Amino acid sequence: MKDIARQSMSIKVESMDMLNAQIKMEAHASASYLAMASWCEQNGFFTSAKFFFKQAEEEREHMMKIFNFLVDTGGSPMSPEITNINHDYASIVDVFESTLDHEVKVTKSIHNIVKKARELGDIATERFLDWFVMEQVEEENTIRDILDMISVTGTEGVGLQMIDNQVANWME
Amino acid sequence: MVEINRSKYYSFHQATADRAFHIDFGHKTIRLPLCQLLSLRHKLKTIAIEDHFDGDLNKHGFEILLLCNKEHLFILNTLEILDLTELVESSLVKLGLAQPAQVALV
Repeated sequence: MKDIARQSMSIKVESMDMLNAQIKMEAHASASYLAMASWCEQNGFFTSAKFFFKQAEEEREHMMKIFNFLVDTGGSPMSPEITNINHDYASIVDVFESTLDHEVKVTKSIHNIVKKARELGDIATERFLDWFVMEQVEEENTIRDILDMISVTGTEGVGLQMIDNQVANWME
Repeated sequence: MVEINRSKYYSFHQATADRAFHIDFGHKTIRLPLCQLLSLRHKLKTIAIEDHFDGDLNKHGFEILLLCNKEHLFILNTLEILDLTELVESSLVKLGLAQPAQVALV
């Protein structure tokens, strides 16, 4: 008997479910960064706004990377429904701290999928996620560096303006 | 056509000739390529079965399933939904696409 199922799909269903959840998480991150860009624009942090516009685009690229992987492996990628986007922040520090929290959540989620793929013997998914593991190291490091810069600069006097100007250093 | 799996109400088959799976609903048999089978699984997973036990949320305890790009329409009760979910999940295990430990009714 021909193995039609294996001929049609080259990853495990459990991996597909987790990758669909990750698609949703990346889409949520993209929408959240767009909300942060909006907050920055409205509060005079124009360089930070540009930074978050770029971050929003990057998260969408990550989402599409996973989406296309599911297409390539014969899986069923789901277009995500995004709700509960926070638009309220207490300060620019709050914005960057929320960003770091978000990135840490994404990292943990990626690591969980890698562990599960390894457990399932799903080598294709495990290898595909190698790029995401390293990308998350870079993403977290960028936000940590910005928070360090904010800490050194301080928010008194012209500090806020200096912080916004210096965010340009982390934009490629 | 080879029978892969059977539940209380339905049976699951593989047809090598047309590279697809078939589910026999008793009164009707439908053809599902793998993408449609995954779509059916997704629809079943998103059903809030707990609503069937709350008269306000699902008064009649039925679900309407539109399958295969709206080619087929089924109205199933609570037990039939649970049975179909079990059939699909355990069939994926038998096909080697899912792990046995991951099989859950809801």
